[in-house]
Amino acid sequence: MIVNRRRIYIIPTRFGIALALLLVAMLIAGLNYNSNLGLAFGFLMVSLALVAMHHCHRNLLNLSVDAIVEVDAFAGDYANFEILLRNEAGIDRCDLEIRMDAAAGHAASGVSTALVSVAARGYQHGAVSVPVARRGVTRLERFELRTRYPFGWFRAWTYVHSPLTAFVAPRPGGERALPSASAAVGTAAQSEVRGDEDFAGLRAYEAGVPLKHMAWKVLARGGEPAVRSYTGLAAEPEWLDWAALHSLGAEARLSQLCRWVLSSEAAQRAYGLRIPGTEITPSRGPAHRSACLRALARYPSEPGHMSVEPAA
Amino acid sequence: MSGGPATGALTAAAERVSFESLLWISACLALTLLVGIATLPVWVTLTVAAAAGIRLVQAARGQDAPPRGIRFLIGALAIGLLFLQFRTFNGLSAGSALLSLIAGLKLLETRTRRDIYVITMIIYFLSLAALLEGESFWLLSYLIGVCWLTTSTLLRLTSSARNSDWSGSVRHAGRILAQALPLAVAFWLFFPRFGGPLWQMPDSGSNATSGLSDSMSPGDINNLAMSDEVAFRVRFKAGSGTPPPQERYWRGPVLHDFDGHAWRRTESAPVVAPGLRFQGPAYRYTVSLEPSQHNWIFVLDWPSRWDAERAYLTSDYMLMEPNPLSQPLDVAATSYSHVQAAQPLGPGMRRRDTHVHAGRNPRSLRLAQELRSAHPDDPGYIDAVLEMFHSEPFFYTLTPPRLAADPVDGFLFDTKRGFCGHYASAFATLMRAAGIPARVVTGYQGGTYNRFADYWILRQSDAHAWDEVWIEGSGWVRVDPTAAIAPERVEHGLNDMVTAGAAQFSRWQQRTPWFADLRLRLDALRLLWRERILRFDQSSQERLLELLHIPEPDGQKLALVLAACLSLGMTWLTWQVRRELKIRPRDPLQRAYERLCRRLGSVGCERKPAEGPEAYAARVSRLRPDLAEPVMALCREYSALRYGAGAGAAAGTGATAADTNRFSSAVRRFRPRGSRGSS
Repeated sequence: MIVNRRRIYIIPTRFGIALALLLVAMLIAGLNYNSNLGLAFGFLMVSLALVAMHHCHRNLLNLSVDAIVEVDAFAGDYANFEILLRNEAGIDRCDLEIRMDAAAGHAASGVSTALVSVAARGYQHGAVSVPVARRGVTRLERFELRTRYPFGWFRAWTYVHSPLTAFVAPRPGGERALPSASAAVGTAAQSEVRGDEDFAGLRAYEAGVPLKHMAWKVLARGGEPAVRSYTGLAAEPEWLDWAALHSLGAEARLSQLCRWVLSSEAAQRAYGLRIPGTEITPSRGPAHRSACLRALARYPSEPGHMSVEPAA
Repeated sequence: MSGGPATGALTAAAERVSFESLLWISACLALTLLVGIATLPVWVTLTVAAAAGIRLVQAARGQDAPPRGIRFLIGALAIGLLFLQFRTFNGLSAGSALLSLIAGLKLLETRTRRDIYVITMIIYFLSLAALLEGESFWLLSYLIGVCWLTTSTLLRLTSSARNSDWSGSVRHAGRILAQALPLAVAFWLFFPRFGGPLWQMPDSGSNATSGLSDSMSPGDINNLAMSDEVAFRVRFKAGSGTPPPQERYWRGPVLHDFDGHAWRRTESAPVVAPGLRFQGPAYRYTVSLEPSQHNWIFVLDWPSRWDAERAYLTSDYMLMEPNPLSQPLDVAATSYSHVQAAQPLGPGMRRRDTHVHAGRNPRSLRLAQELRSAHPDDPGYIDAVLEMFHSEPFFYTLTPPRLAADPVDGFLFDTKRGFCGHYASAFATLMRAAGIPARVVTGYQGGTYNRFADYWILRQSDAHAWDEVWIEGSGWVRVDPTAAIAPERVEHGLNDMVTAGAAQFSRWQQRTPWFADLRLRLDALRLLWRERILRFDQSSQERLLELLHIPEPDGQKLALVLAACLSLGMTWLTWQVRRELKIRPRDPLQRAYERLCRRLGSVGCERKPAEGPEAYAARVSRLRPDLAEPVMALCREYSALRYGAGAGAAAGTGATAADTNRFSSAVRRFRPRGSRGSS
């Protein structure tokens, strides 16, 4: 999105208002003493303030703002939104403050900000960490871009209407071991996991395979893209099942499932997720992990447990 | 996915003031206080300096501001002391002292940006306060410079500037200040002025005393003559003539009381009507007086009208201000060189102006009696005395011998050397001894004409003393006994009454005329500054509007012109500020191609974002077969120039400047008409 002239608002800051009062006093003094030099100085200051206002407004004008619109987070932690500011003009953009209100219900407290400056014909990332207290899907319909540059007398701001979604997974918790660990014989399971590293052969490339599993040498020799496969991939998939945790409450179950997802991913083995209304077939990798965590985030919360679910 | 609670700490750190900023704001405050250091109580200056010093040392060590209790105590103490000294916080000097003190104390507790903002505002206001009483161009420039630095300090408070260098910030602040200048000029020119003050402020605590030169013993005039500095400037109004040299006497204090050694001025009552019948040509002029310790206004003999509001005329025709001229003053006046007294001399004045101290200067009194018996008529007696000065060996000198207890005797009979003061004093004594009312008038005579700007400069070295005698039937008549000395006995030129060093200087000037010219030109600029800038007022604004061909100028029209100028200025500013935002390709070839695309776009054939020139031309040809030929040619030429491998250009050569120019002028000539549907 490009910041439009009509969408920039500007008001004087507290210091700006104080300065305005001061300028009025200066002009009255100049008139009262009939001092042309005093008036000249006073008017110079007035003009300086007016020019500063233009510069403040300009600091946001025609700035291009792009945000990563979907972000994953854990409850009680921070959702890190990354915002890309691009400046195609020949002037530096200084002291841009990106502000996000923590969404209602999920807010730990107040506003999160990040301060960024973008050089002429350059770009800059700004990362805003919004605290998220509770599990659920948090939507921010807009965020604010503001600046007090150059002298802090004025504050210009604009709202960037770009819906940002944070999938807040439950805080990983629970003490229970993975289902496979309780079912399988300890040593067999151990060796199977270690066998994950063993090279088993090549198979055809398919989208979504981790880059580190690509057989680059084959590609370099001019062959078709291929993927190295490992014995571990062939191992028995783990089912992380809501039903297996029947003794716990809903949120506790979700926390436990979340921990299982993370530990299965860390162990580099395939896992599937089964919660009421959703079943994710076994796989592994960042995309799969994210899909599982988002499913956990999306799980409707019990009445009384505050969560904001978007209308869609 | 793990975030950091960095944001809160980040803002707190941003609010914190760096040592560098503290140093700069201290420097700016010091530069501001420097202007008023003469009027500021010494302990205030010291307190501010100490506060800045303590805070800077602390900041350098990484310590925080002193505890709140101590700061409060110091503040209360200092402000209490200030009140005890001034008894008021109203008025310019007390207010400035209070603000300076507050700024210093604020510096002591500066921790965050907020504190710096407060100090900058105090600096701005102190600068203004200094300008309210100052009038020099250099002061204005200096204070604008300080304001520039202060504003740069504000710019430094933004976090992005913290990483860059100071000179960059100063340059950037300078650019913003330069953009503010045209707007400020418009404001200044057209903002309506209200002739007088909105309300009366208490007089500033200027405790300069008058009376230093209320007396004349010849040594005093000698001191005055030492100096080459400007006393006042005079510009004769258009249509008014310039008086001949023998009438260019600028009247100052009139001295009556003579104790045999020194002449003193007695307070003369103010009069409403001059009591004169004016004759002859009227001279209309403006006297621009420099500030002085005295309260008299120098006018040409004899003043009939003046426009200084508070000035009044005394019974001995001195124009006086109620207060010493602590600031430059301009007075427009009218004078006549020939006058006739309307009333006879009152008995009180006659007694005062014929009084001689009986015990002093006995030889002179005897001489007067002898001369008087030979010349019983007043004009005859006056001529006889003047003839004595002319024929006897009287010398004019700037370095006369010291005179003993009876200076008139010593001068007339022993040394016969002196300057204007000696002659005026001796002449008046001789007149009074013969019963003719006489008084000594001090002032200035002559002056230097500045041909570059058509005005006269009267320097301290033009100071002079002459006499006035009462002639029955005509009134007070000016007699200048110094002028009666035989020219061959003048040791220095009358207009050359300067000390040895300055005399050398002026001889040097005479040898290098361009230097004297330069000096006159500079002086002309000074007068211009004063007339055009400092005295800019309602009537100047009226003339300005007349210059803009606005009939019958009044306040409302002025306000309209101001509004027009401001909206023009703001538009200019908007344009100026956004101009830098425009993304203009540097490459002329690229610019020309973009122009082509724009023109085609306006007839409905926009280029798609990723469309190459050849594909674009092909599509345009399909859409508008009538444009096919020129567009194809232009696009082919563009890709040939751009990529160097097209059909028309030799491979590998790339675009030369001439080719590019040819291409862009071809694009400029290409004006597609009509929309898609027309063909």
